[in-house]
Amino acid sequence: MYSTIPIQRQWARLAHVCRALSSLEGHKLPVGGKSIDGISPPLRISRSPTDILQALAATVGVDPTAPHYKYHDDPFLIPQSNYRKRAYALSAEAGRKAATWIRDEQAHLFTTREWDPPMKMKTPYFNADPHIDAFTPRPIYNDESKVTEEDLLYTINNALIEDAIKVYQLLGASEGVNDELKMSLLQLLCFYNEKEPIGAEWLEERWFAAATRERQAATWKLGGLADKIFASMDPKTPEAYCTLIQGMAKYYQAERAHAFAQEAIEKGVPLSTGVYNSLLSCVGFLKEGTALRIDALKGLLAEMNEQGISPNADTLTACLRSISAWGGGQILQTFALQVLAEFKALNIQPSLSAYYYILCLFCKERGQRIDILTSILTDLENRECLEPSDAMDTHFFITAIGVCSDHLQDINLAERVHALLMKGDNYKLVGDAYKESIYYRHLVTVTCRHAPFETTAQLLDMLIPNIYVPEPSVMEEIIKTLEVAGAGDRLAEVWSQLVVFGLAKRIKIVEQLLNALCQCYSYQEDEIKEKIRNAAADMLKFGQLIQEQNENRRTPTQQLSATALANIIDLCADVNDKDDPSWEVVGEALGRLRSEQAVGVPDKPEILASVAKKAANIGKPGIAATALTYLAECGFEEATKACVETLGVMLNRPVEEVQTLLQEPRSALEASLHPSALVIAEAFHLAKTGGPMDSSSSESDSDSSDSD
Amino acid sequence: MLLYWLPNFIPQQHYAELSPENTESQKKRDKPLTYEMANPPHYIAHRKTWNSWNTSNLKDGIRRSETALEDEFIRRFMNGTWHGLVCSEIIIKRQFNHIRVAAIIRRAVSPTKMYFLLGYSEELMANWLQCPVTLELQTVDSFKDVVFKYI
Repeated sequence: MYSTIPIQRQWARLAHVCRALSSLEGHKLPVGGKSIDGISPPLRISRSPTDILQALAATVGVDPTAPHYKYHDDPFLIPQSNYRKRAYALSAEAGRKAATWIRDEQAHLFTTREWDPPMKMKTPYFNADPHIDAFTPRPIYNDESKVTEEDLLYTINNALIEDAIKVYQLLGASEGVNDELKMSLLQLLCFYNEKEPIGAEWLEERWFAAATRERQAATWKLGGLADKIFASMDPKTPEAYCTLIQGMAKYYQAERAHAFAQEAIEKGVPLSTGVYNSLLSCVGFLKEGTALRIDALKGLLAEMNEQGISPNADTLTACLRSISAWGGGQILQTFALQVLAEFKALNIQPSLSAYYYILCLFCKERGQRIDILTSILTDLENRECLEPSDAMDTHFFITAIGVCSDHLQDINLAERVHALLMKGDNYKLVGDAYKESIYYRHLVTVTCRHAPFETTAQLLDMLIPNIYVPEPSVMEEIIKTLEVAGAGDRLAEVWSQLVVFGLAKRIKIVEQLLNALCQCYSYQEDEIKEKIRNAAADMLKFGQLIQEQNENRRTPTQQLSATALANIIDLCADVNDKDDPSWEVVGEALGRLRSEQAVGVPDKPEILASVAKKAANIGKPGIAATALTYLAECGFEEATKACVETLGVMLNRPVEEVQTLLQEPRSALEASLHPSALVIAEAFHLAKTGGPMDSSSSESDSDSSDSD
Repeated sequence: MLLYWLPNFIPQQHYAELSPENTESQKKRDKPLTYEMANPPHYIAHRKTWNSWNTSNLKDGIRRSETALEDEFIRRFMNGTWHGLVCSEIIIKRQFNHIRVAAIIRRAVSPTKMYFLLGYSEELMANWLQCPVTLELQTVDSFKDVVFKYI
């Protein structure tokens, strides 16, 4: 067996050579898709290494009911709220960052290279096959580093701005670097404005990066390294001019960019389309007033024509970007449509970002309703695929759905937008976490408001909680929809969702939910009724739990209002069994009402009156007494009538008899009545006269036991 | 203690304890065993499976010693990084150039910390072993959840 090993190695080497040969041959073969005469095999189709993987991936869709695959598949590790989704994904990324940091800092330890196929190791370390750059430690540059131009090339190719600047200075700045490298460095600096971007390997950080709206202010570093490198270049090539002007225009240094462009034209330096595109996008900074700005834009386009430069799709985007930044109004809107028509005549398709600017221009928050989205959607739906070409392309879908939701309030259009986003590979255009959540906020809102309930329910089941966790405002919208539809079981589930999503502390939503539960309680089935009661009881318990947790903190916690507590009482008192645990909840809620832990007074006191009657009826006089005393203390008119009726029920006597009974002095009643009934009698007097029954009467314990 | 190390490099399989005199009265039954520990090696492929899955151990498999050594490294790395949290054997499955590492973890730290450790372990092992490494963890509340029987 051991003797075969050398032969195997030979075989492996032979296989390696064969592989190399076959790939060489593959390059020589003509490339195409179809057989020439129908008999001979079709020509070779060249594939990228991941083509088969992509084809396989295309056969399975995304399962919306499963958590995203970046989260670990374990109940403990699946995030349920927005906060947790963010925290978990970023924690994992922080771990990965820590590992790469260790690798880079301890680069001398990470020298082992796995070798495959197993042939004789030629050098102790670096014969890994294939050599994978991603697994090699990154060099760290500091003042003592010995650097060469290769290091500079490496840093530039990997967009490591700070390292590139460091290496450039170590190499002796402008004297020690050749022109070609200088040019590449200038391009890098101009593109990023000398600011280190988030690395491409940190997906989560880019996904969750705080959505800072790009400031439309001159952020270009004046007199920075880019300017210095440009000054040191001699002769100044057209490429250098183009790079610098585009950099300045990108970071809103409009006047200097235009001055440089003028200088270049005077010197006879040819400029590119890209330069004119960037100049067009910041032309508004030069002039004030719509008319002057439009003239300047037209002037630039005419200048392009003079220079013999043909526009492209980005030119259209740049024009519309400028126009949409100048505000709104009839003139700009007509001008934008003119530009659009002009480019259509040139057979240039507007990109997604162009349409985004059109939507910004036409669909203002306060303004006339203009349905321009329909035609845009028709155009986009007819395209085979939507290729992203500009960073602003990712703004299109959130703006479009926002227009559907707020501006047009049209569910059909919203559905079309959503279908377009879900088509093919288009979901990549959703942008980042922030934009995704705004997109779904609009989609859910417009669906809740305008779609039939079945569609809404379907959408909610699909999105929540794995794709989208509703924000408080959207949750209110959802509760409203469920209430209108009378979906009691779904409403009861909303409470557990609130707890899981971390929204249960938001008193406003909880109160709204309680209200909705009360509204649709009466016509639910018994099973659902019980679910609703349990949810209501849990709300009370949850509030107490939070309060206990927060006792040591200085900031007071929000409390359920008296109306909400009355709603809980109303729901939980709907049981006919005396031993049902719901009565405990009722007692608990009443206790909180009486000890003034709730804000305000209930806006429907008749609920408490009827609950008191019911409690007396099934043999819970203590609860009846507490409810009536509370009513009397709050000074509700209903209190007197309710007291008489409840006493009537308790003592099993007609109302007239009870009224005469109540006229008797306290001492006489004390002997003849049950303590709870006595409390009710006291409540009656309190309600009627505004004072206690007798001056001699001692404060009786209202929370007396409800034993018979 | 559930965790103990066999100081050898071969993929570990636990041997059920063999007592010389098998008298019921002497057994205290206070030593917890996991399912894996409770089944002696001849039950592999009958009641339990291997702890290392790879093709190096097959006939004419390549890079046997490297695989064994790497597996030992992965086991030590996991037990050290997830210190006091691993409640099972560490299962290492190799497919193509992909290494999947499975284990049962105690829920003694917050999920956020677990995610940090997850990202850290995956990335560091990937860099060390020069191939994609995926952790496949399951969590349990305590060590007691993995006890199969007491002896």
